[in-house]
Amino acid sequence: MRKTALVVDDSPTMRQMVAFTLTNAGFKVVEAEHGKDAITKVADGQKMDIIVTDLNMPEMDGISLIKELRKMAAFKFTPILMLTTESSADKKQAGKDAGATGWIVKPFNPELILKVIAKILPA
Amino acid sequence: MRDTQGLGRPTKADSAAIELASLKEHQQAWEAFAACAVSMIPILKKQMEAVTQQTERAAMDLMVNIRALTPPVTASRSTDTSANLSKIVMAMQFQDITQQKLEHVTQALDQWKMHLQALLKGPRDECAKQEIATLQRLEESYTMEEERRLHAAAITPDYQEPVPIEMEQTETDSATLF
Repeated sequence: MRKTALVVDDSPTMRQMVAFTLTNAGFKVVEAEHGKDAITKVADGQKMDIIVTDLNMPEMDGISLIKELRKMAAFKFTPILMLTTESSADKKQAGKDAGATGWIVKPFNPELILKVIAKILPA
Repeated sequence: MRDTQGLGRPTKADSAAIELASLKEHQQAWEAFAACAVSMIPILKKQMEAVTQQTERAAMDLMVNIRALTPPVTASRSTDTSANLSKIVMAMQFQDITQQKLEHVTQALDQWKMHLQALLKGPRDECAKQEIATLQRLEESYTMEEERRLHAAAITPDYQEPVPIEMEQTETDSATLF
């Protein structure tokens, strides 16, 4: 069965590129424009195997999104990767504290992101 | 003291009047400059927004075409094709990166505008002091290491073009698992 990934980014081109990478790797991809949109997308109970989210977004940023998701029983242990241009240690720490599983700095290498996902997703 | 010997030397009062007139001229010139800059900043912002919108549309068009040219997931792909697709995706991210950098310049222009507006009220104004402090914290708005390095390089006295801004990222730099 195909695994489902939720891709959250306010940049449509970036969403397209992450979705393209994951679709090519066999994932079904659900896209969201920002944190609030992502919360709406998961509200119907759809299971997500992995979530890839940007950090700086309007409406709700990536850190707040992770905090919200971690409050939900269905997403307590779902792997969540931050995908952002931000590379400072304090931001990474904030991501870790919020409950992120990993941090990838843009521009991302599709092969690297798939390697990271393979490492954290059960086969 | 007035010149009693008729040598035409200016008195203290004359000098003060000249200085005051000069200060007024400077003040008027400054106000004209600040008002002009304040009105130009929104135009510059619009120009930059138009550029980013154009590049976004171009990047979306490219992605649509790349999708159309990509063999379906079920079809077998050569290692070369996969490697080339990865390179295309890497290269295509220039649009998002450039857009973010320009957004940070836009934010700086907004701060600069508020700074000028505050200065027009006078440097002793509390609001002006806050705006000056905000502008001095411009670097805090950067998200990319590349932006921080460029900023640091640009403010050095011996700054020269081109600025070395590209630094190769290793896998460990770009991916961290907690």
